[in-house]
Amino acid sequence: MNYDVIVIGGGLAGLTGAIRCAEAGLKTVVISAGESALAFASGAIDVFGIEQDNSFVECPFAAIRHLPSTHPYQKVGAASLQQGLTFFTEQMAAAGIQLSNFGQQNHGRLTALGAIRPAWLSQEGADSLPLLAPAEGIRRVAIINIAGFRDFQPALMAAGMKRHPGFSEAEFILADIKTATLNINTRNAYELRSLELARTLKRDLFSQPNGINILSSALQKAAGNADLVVIPSVLAVEGGNELIRQLETLTGLRICEVATLPPSLPGMRMASALKQRFRQLGGMFLEGDQVLCGCFAENRLSSVKTRLNPDMPISASHFILATGSFFSQGLASDRHHLSEPVFGLDVDAPDSRDQWSDHRFMDGKPHNLSHFGINTSEQLNPYRNGQKIHNLYCAGAVLNGFNPVQEASSGGVAIGTGWFAANRIIATMPQAEETC
Amino acid sequence: MLNTIDTSFDSCIKCTVCTTRCPVAEVNPDYPGPKQAGPDGERLRIKNPALYDEALQHCTNCKRCEVACPSGVHVGTVIQLAKARHGGFKKGPREFILSHTDMMGSLSTPAAPVVNIATQLKPVKKLLDKVFGIDQRQTLPKYTHQTFRRWFQQQKAQQNRFDRKISFFHGCFTNYNDPTVGKHLVAVLNAMNIGVTLLKKEKCCGVPLIANGFFDKARKNAELNMGQFADSLADSECVLATEPSCAMTLRDEYPEVLHVDNHAIKERILFASAFITREFAKGNKPDMTPVNLRVAYHSPCHLIKQGGVIHTMELLNSIPGLEVIMLDQKCCGMSGTYGFKKENYQTSQNIGQGVFDQIEALNVDYVVTDCESCKMQIEMNTAHKVLHPLTLMAQSLA
Ligand SMILES: Cc1cc2nc3c(=O)[nH]c(=O)nc-3n(C[C@H](O)[C@H](O)[C@H](O)COP(=O)(O)OP(=O)(O)OC[C@H]3O[C@@H](n4cnc5c(N)ncnc54)[C@H](O)[C@@H]3O)c2cc1C
Ligand code: SF4
Ligand code: SF4
Repeated sequence: MNYDVIVIGGGLAGLTGAIRCAEAGLKTVVISAGESALAFASGAIDVFGIEQDNSFVECPFAAIRHLPSTHPYQKVGAASLQQGLTFFTEQMAAAGIQLSNFGQQNHGRLTALGAIRPAWLSQEGADSLPLLAPAEGIRRVAIINIAGFRDFQPALMAAGMKRHPGFSEAEFILADIKTATLNINTRNAYELRSLELARTLKRDLFSQPNGINILSSALQKAAGNADLVVIPSVLAVEGGNELIRQLETLTGLRICEVATLPPSLPGMRMASALKQRFRQLGGMFLEGDQVLCGCFAENRLSSVKTRLNPDMPISASHFILATGSFFSQGLASDRHHLSEPVFGLDVDAPDSRDQWSDHRFMDGKPHNLSHFGINTSEQLNPYRNGQKIHNLYCAGAVLNGFNPVQEASSGGVAIGTGWFAANRIIATMPQAEETC
Repeated sequence: MLNTIDTSFDSCIKCTVCTTRCPVAEVNPDYPGPKQAGPDGERLRIKNPALYDEALQHCTNCKRCEVACPSGVHVGTVIQLAKARHGGFKKGPREFILSHTDMMGSLSTPAAPVVNIATQLKPVKKLLDKVFGIDQRQTLPKYTHQTFRRWFQQQKAQQNRFDRKISFFHGCFTNYNDPTVGKHLVAVLNAMNIGVTLLKKEKCCGVPLIANGFFDKARKNAELNMGQFADSLADSECVLATEPSCAMTLRDEYPEVLHVDNHAIKERILFASAFITREFAKGNKPDMTPVNLRVAYHSPCHLIKQGGVIHTMELLNSIPGLEVIMLDQKCCGMSGTYGFKKENYQTSQNIGQGVFDQIEALNVDYVVTDCESCKMQIEMNTAHKVLHPLTLMAQSLA
């Protein structure tokens, strides 16, 4: 079997690249071993939010110009990164998810622990706050839970928010909406998790013609005259953003949904929108299979073998490796080495374990481990035994040279590098239709 | 003692991804979902088998949880094995009827015309519903008067003329209910200069037996089939199955669920599309004429699980003129015998709604899928006729 492009890994990076290739008319397949990190992610996209000295970045695209040359953003370039993010925003809109931004600036997004994190793109249901003055115009905050939902603690969130100078003087209203008020029947403890709650609400509440009104009056009653109402993201997977908008119209309140502990509904929403978009563009998504190894000749990758079809290699003229970091098994470690398990690509990591481990489990500093990854050329081509592989590109968390958590850059790197890799491929393929 | 317990389920990192993908948990609040039923519950069951949860009966063994798990936990299999150990199955006459597909087939086909009319009659359906709990809203599969094996008798001489040969595991449905797909496989392979032989004897692969808790019977069948495969592989290249669930069972469930070792020949048991596309890749492609149709392809759960969708799509895409739209990969809800049971009827319908809605929204000539059980469910719930990929390919042969 022969494809134009094989993308290995169906997370944010892989799917962004795959959608771009499919849109350009290339015969594209994504092979993904399982669900990606999106199922746990907030559903917002961070581009570059935090400087080395822990200060917030206001203008991410300007700030990335000062990053070291090994950083993925320096390879992609600010212009291409912005194009990629615009493309991503359009694709999400085509799949029914509106993302908003503050132009060139970052905004603040609330976490379930009450922290304010810099992000660049947010879903509509998650109210974006001005990054440096998040409390502007907000004197009363209502944090409302559905009674019994354990993965969200209003008091904990309020305590977190109060640590922010802008909110330290604010008044906090903490309340629960009883399941009986919503006419939902949760008989089992497991029904009080984010996804199960959304399913129960869909079945018991929103199936009724006045279901949304029952919820909106309950919210109104609980929130009083709050300037900002925070609720955990448990109301709906698909159509969750529209639901928040409807509730805002019905209540006249400003409502913000925050992602909870996994599964994160806004993240799941984003993952299914991306997969749907890819299939609409004629791409093939193969889940549950794992690429085991590849066949290399003259510094090119010609085909890959998978766990489920070991006797039938799949070939392509180009490949994108977007297998994620350690968590997704795109990178592996043992006591002595860090490695890339699929092709044995050269990983940039120090030889001595002392340099990538810490004696203290948590010392408040960014962990070195998250800085390591595959070493690539300016064009994102990796090396194998020191030889550059010309038709293989790497994208997303598998790359080296950035620290996604410490910099708040994971979504932007995934989208930017996925987009960049796809465009490199399109540029070399005569049959690709130039649409951009 | 401890080291004899399989604890591979403990590579679970409790991320809940499996539960987000379980079609049963999505519509039936009585089912706690694969995380709790599988790796979480297993920890308790190892301590004390009495901590078994009766809710496990709701699992359809669709394996979507396994496909989605980022940590490679065999969630569906853990659940099936727990059910088997516990014996937590209701095994009444209904379970026997629904699961012993080959026995019911051999009893019914001689009287096919009568049985077919009878099982479509309202009073009979009511009776089956009342007495056995087989939901009367379901259309029962018809039986064929001439079994596939009988039809094949007349093909034998023709098949012997080919140098290359494969063995065909036809499965119960093709033999007793509708031989069409089997006939089309023979036509397609012949056009590729490959002859077909049957196993001297074959028993149901075991998929409905596993689903209904008849593990001993399933294991017996597996052992018999394995013996047959070993014999037939002496003078044929491989064993092919056209039914995704049969192929998955023969390849994966035999060792994992039934503990019947098949490693020596596993790579020679193939799903038909996989074999055909491999031949295509070697340049053995028959002449095909355009089939100018627009079709929607539905991927069966058990084909996704074995990584076979890529092959069927390759096969369909090789048919000139055919426009194939791939549906979002959702479960149709039938799951073999599951949807026939009265208590599952509504769950089964609710699961399938996502598929039915997608199909109705598209303007296609046909729906295409590899699985006979999906076909039944889709035909019952949409206005579309469902074809097997091999039927389209047979149609395209010049
Ligand atoms: C808890 C959490 C919260 C997050 N929150 C945010 C946020 O607020 N903002 C933000 O911008 N980003 C966030 N992210 C990060 C973001 O969602 C992505 O994880 C990140 O951008 C990396 O994406 P990726 O595509 O490179 O890799 P992943 O998402 O890790 O995907 C890799 C995929 O490759 C597959 N794979 C691995 N090996 C193989 C193989 N051999 N064969 C086939 N497939 C394979 C894996 O199964 C997986 O599906 C968060 C992540 C996590 C975990
Ligand atoms: S998806 Fe896998 S790792 Fe995650 S909870 Fe389910 S079994 Fe555990
Ligand atoms: S096999 Fe299917 S029904 Fe059973 S737990 Fe897994 S996803 Fe759910």
